[in-house]
Amino acid sequence: MIDSTTAHSNEAKFLHTVRESLVPGAKEVRQKKDFLHIFQKTDCLQSVERIQQRNDLDFVNLIASFKENCTPLNLGVHRVRNLYEAGEWITQFARSAEPEFDIEKHIIQHAHPDTHELQLWKRLANDPITVHTTFTEDTEIAEKTRASFIGITVADWGIAESATLVQVTAPSRPRSTSLVPSIHIGILRKNRLLANLAEAYAMLQHNGINSSFTFISGPSKTGDIEAHMVHGAHGPREMHVLIVE
Amino acid sequence: MKPSTISYTDGAKAGLANATLQKSLKKIQNGFGKKAMRHWQTMTDSDLRPRAKARRMQTLEHLDIVLAELAEKIREHGGHVYFAATAEDAVRYTLQVAERNKVNKVVKGKSMTSAEIGIDPALQNAGIEVVETDLGEYIIQLAEDAPSHIIAPCIHMDRFQIGKLFTDKLGHEYSDDPPTLTRMARKSLREKLLSADMGITGCNIACAETGQISLVSNEGNIRMSTTMPRVHVALMGMERIAATFDEHRELLQLLITGATVQKLSTYVSFVGGPRHEGDPDGPEEFHLIVIDNGRSKILADPEFREVLACIRCGACLNICPVYGRIGGHAYNSHYCGPIGAVVTPLLNGINDHADLCKGETLCGACKDVCPVENDLPRMLSALRHKLAYGDKYWQVKPYNRIEAAGFKGWRKAISSRKAYNMLLKVGRFLQKGRIAENGMISSMPGPAGKWTRDRDLKPLATETFTERWRKHHSSRKMEEKS
Repeated sequence: MIDSTTAHSNEAKFLHTVRESLVPGAKEVRQKKDFLHIFQKTDCLQSVERIQQRNDLDFVNLIASFKENCTPLNLGVHRVRNLYEAGEWITQFARSAEPEFDIEKHIIQHAHPDTHELQLWKRLANDPITVHTTFTEDTEIAEKTRASFIGITVADWGIAESATLVQVTAPSRPRSTSLVPSIHIGILRKNRLLANLAEAYAMLQHNGINSSFTFISGPSKTGDIEAHMVHGAHGPREMHVLIVE
Repeated sequence: MKPSTISYTDGAKAGLANATLQKSLKKIQNGFGKKAMRHWQTMTDSDLRPRAKARRMQTLEHLDIVLAELAEKIREHGGHVYFAATAEDAVRYTLQVAERNKVNKVVKGKSMTSAEIGIDPALQNAGIEVVETDLGEYIIQLAEDAPSHIIAPCIHMDRFQIGKLFTDKLGHEYSDDPPTLTRMARKSLREKLLSADMGITGCNIACAETGQISLVSNEGNIRMSTTMPRVHVALMGMERIAATFDEHRELLQLLITGATVQKLSTYVSFVGGPRHEGDPDGPEEFHLIVIDNGRSKILADPEFREVLACIRCGACLNICPVYGRIGGHAYNSHYCGPIGAVVTPLLNGINDHADLCKGETLCGACKDVCPVENDLPRMLSALRHKLAYGDKYWQVKPYNRIEAAGFKGWRKAISSRKAYNMLLKVGRFLQKGRIAENGMISSMPGPAGKWTRDRDLKPLATETFTERWRKHHSSRKMEEKS
């Protein structure tokens, strides 16, 4: 393995070559503090304030726009009044949907107050369907995720313009829940809806950037064989968003 | 896989003769190419492209500082950053990471940089199984072929060929139904994705401010490759970076519009380090390899620095009339189309790839469709200039001295009326008997024969305009006077 000192001198040499290409003959390393203008951020506070002041009519419009943009993505969108109704919807759905890779039906859901309120384990207690939750203490999350045909996540934000869910990684909210199961169901609270990508960037920046997050817009797809659109390339082949009002 | 080693002319002929390729190229160009062009013309934020370009150039001009910042931030996240001056350095480092982690199986997300540095054969020689996971790239890998488009690698193959390939290589029952074929690949690749020890990806756009790389895909294979294996190695051409999160957003939008005119690709993932404590998934180790491999030489030349602003969306392929006919294989490079015609000679030798810049038409469509408004036609002309006159910095030998001498003579001839008239007479004499029924010359002797090999030449007129004027109108002046 390359030890840290070698890596360090290697880096210095590399960056020296880059600097030589830009300012030939410069002796000193160029420091960030002398070039702060290239890292100048636009102030996200203004956008955040505007977002936080949205009223009911604004959200009606955002929901309509989100819904409209779901159609071309083959992304199912359903409006529910509360999490109780969302739980009802998922229960019905899970009973009729068929697993793709296994015979048994398993569901995995993010450990989140909102999924707790769905009360799926109670609702499905008499069904041959097992519900798992991604609690940090559980050491078998990976196996349970692989066995599941439905993955349920709670989106941090939704972007109306592109019908996108923003999913920030956290210890009890692993990345694979929205990826490995054949069907992904995303729960999105109405007041988490944003208009466009710029607003999503502003909110992410405002809340502090985690090292990992993902934008998800619809089920996985490919057009690699004769540009024929097929859903379910490697990720979920089916996706639904439940907008909770 | 390596690109083919046939000549540009032979590659072009093969491309023209491939009916599947012709059909797909037409489809892609009529779809993506025209749509992207329309999008730029009708978008409300018409300043987006020039604004993004200006910021992109500013970032490139401070690349040393921006890269240092990225490395620092990624190390803060617990990731490793390695700076590779050459392809060999990058390969050696990757092999060391693989060896240390006892890697047996590598899954790859589509990355042209990985092809540029030749990582696949190196890993395979070390006894490691390498699996491409983008469906198109997987098909190409099974067929031991080379990709022919940046975002649609197997457009030169049809469903029947792919069906046969899956039967031969994977033992599936034959099908030529795209959904069935996709399901077959999904099943085989899922197994690989869930059992691999290491994922290798490229990097669409890194962001120095947040210390992340971002990866774009529709299939989800890149998310799989960066989530399931124990180790993630990301290969990044050193220019693929935005200084700020804001700059990143604009480039991301431009990239996706340029590539597929989607509002957002299905998946855009941001990663900047290994899994955090308590995360049940994500890699235990994250390595970013920043690669120079000839890019600093381009950066140092103000004439070509602009080409590093490219975000590899492939829009220029979707509009170029030359690429649209000959396809990607003729370019003999991992980078094809107009962008390849500029980047390939600069990375791999201008003399060795002399045909590429001369094959393009300089029509300017690539510049019009480019999300960062790269002036590719200007750079293609600059390359031609270097080929004509030689260049010390790029070690270019004048391509064809006979041609150069010919043009020198031509310059003399057309600056003297007498010499020009004489040449005309000689020309008219020589073309006698060579004019075919369609009124065109279809063959010329000696080296001039190359010109008429694939096209006809219009013969010289029997009289020039001056000669006709003299004959018919020279008396007019006097008539007017009288």
